[in-house]
Amino acid sequence: MALTTPVSKEPAVASIAPAERAAPGVWRLSTARLTRPSWNRARQRVFLVFLGPSLLVLLLVTILPLVFLLATSLTSLDMSNPASLRWAGLTNYREVTRDGRFWNSVWIQAQLSFWTVSLQVVIGFAIALLLNGRLKLLGLVRATFIVPMVLPPVVVALIWKVLFTPDISILDWTLGLLGLPQPAWLVDPRFALWAIIIADVWEWFPFVMLMLLAALQMLPQEPLEAARLDGASRWQVFRYVTLPLVKPALVVATVFRLIDSVKAFPHIFIMTGGGPGTATEVTNFYAYLEGFSYTYVGYASAIIVVMLGVTLLMSLVALHVARWEVEVE
Amino acid sequence: MLAVALLVLLVLSPAIFIVQMSFKSGLEAFQMPPTFTFQVTLQNYADVLQGKFLRALTNSTVTATVATVLSLALGVPAAYALSRARFRGAGLVSLWTLSTRMAPAIAFGIPFFLIYKELDLIDTRLGLVIIYLTFNLSLVIWMMRAFFDGLPRSLEEAAYIDGAGIVRAFSAIALPLSAPGLATTAIFTFLLSWNDFFYSLLLTRSEAVTAPVAIVNFMNYESWEWGKVTAAATMIMLPVVALSLVVRKYLVRGLTAGALKG
Repeated sequence: MALTTPVSKEPAVASIAPAERAAPGVWRLSTARLTRPSWNRARQRVFLVFLGPSLLVLLLVTILPLVFLLATSLTSLDMSNPASLRWAGLTNYREVTRDGRFWNSVWIQAQLSFWTVSLQVVIGFAIALLLNGRLKLLGLVRATFIVPMVLPPVVVALIWKVLFTPDISILDWTLGLLGLPQPAWLVDPRFALWAIIIADVWEWFPFVMLMLLAALQMLPQEPLEAARLDGASRWQVFRYVTLPLVKPALVVATVFRLIDSVKAFPHIFIMTGGGPGTATEVTNFYAYLEGFSYTYVGYASAIIVVMLGVTLLMSLVALHVARWEVEVE
Repeated sequence: MLAVALLVLLVLSPAIFIVQMSFKSGLEAFQMPPTFTFQVTLQNYADVLQGKFLRALTNSTVTATVATVLSLALGVPAAYALSRARFRGAGLVSLWTLSTRMAPAIAFGIPFFLIYKELDLIDTRLGLVIIYLTFNLSLVIWMMRAFFDGLPRSLEEAAYIDGAGIVRAFSAIALPLSAPGLATTAIFTFLLSWNDFFYSLLLTRSEAVTAPVAIVNFMNYESWEWGKVTAAATMIMLPVVALSLVVRKYLVRGLTAGALKG
């Protein structure tokens, strides 16, 4: 013990060699301290203390609930009748595959995702191109464009609920002024999903715009100038020079919007309540109804587990593609 | 230039429409074409604040603030450790961040609801603070790790040589230097908690209801009092807009947390 003490950080004063004790400043000011094994061990210990609580909490609030969700999905839990709780095995999952309303909800989610993401990418990209190069007031313009995406989703939903309500809405009035049809957006099954899509596009196209604007501003100027000097038309410059260069940002923005497109819950809850009929009932919302309106929590859990599995798989594939794209460029 | 100005106006017009509506009296609000010169009234705001909405605003402020402080207290040291030490499986934390981000809120909503019923945490602010950790903590770890990675290590190493321990080098050097990062991260977690709708809808009843859910209650029980609804909406969007303008440079980085490096 006494032999190893000089390299130990513990202040075991009694056993420290007299030479070391005589000149503490000498070893304190040398880098030797950093290379001692005990210093590394102490460092590692402190870092574990730093990390430990977070890992524990993450385990408790994310992993544990997901395990609980999985377990619940294997039971017949009905909140209106907790006594009926039975182990159900895979019954819920078999039921899900046969549930027409579930498949309908998947189809509606697919349409919602497709249209919101496509429109956001097209509009976001177009506006980014329009703003690119107009540096004078760019900061100000950019700041105003972020407003829709930072608003509380509830406020976004309320704004569009008002705008889609006939008689009180400026949108309705404008359409009338232009001689266009004024559909009863939220109660007409043909338009209800479009009402949700429009609200979601308004909220999130700025995200695509911001990412692409950042990419456009970092473009190297040489290839663009070289192409122009070679007599390329504006379209050719865009198609063969700009587009390939901003492709990574485009892919990443698309992937993120796709992942988040399953999160339109507040819009649907406030604007349509899933209706009319089941016209805007996405899977997320259907599971909510099964679990909390009809109290079939076991069944709702099974729907969510299926949905979670599919979205996780799709996101991993999409992210893989995105990272690959980014690395290739 | 004119095109850009028109575009800005067009994009903002839905929000502006709601805000102007909140300053109009009952009948004027629904006049079409909308009147641009009108008697500004604060009656809607006064009405809203007399009801239960004030309590909901307090709940929102308290839960979002406590959730922010808690996730920073837990997450910042963890982010520092991940930035400075090499751990096996550090990549897992990144994957973890991403997975929790992808999961729809209801995936956590159901188990938390069942557990909270047993623990009597339904309709409590504490319950909300805890469930907000599901998205806040991984966000803090990810964002702060990126900020710490950007700090030069040489200053801390100089402190070690001078005899400072890890904790001291962290608290006296790394932490003050990353103050802008801390502020940005704090604003982000505050915004995410403040904007939450789903968890509050699911886990509160009356006592702990937050402002976004309280608005919906106006609509349902007071049969669409648009003046009050728009006044309440304006009140909950103002702090969000103000705070996000402060962090606008980091907005994309925060929103894509976990997927992009650096």
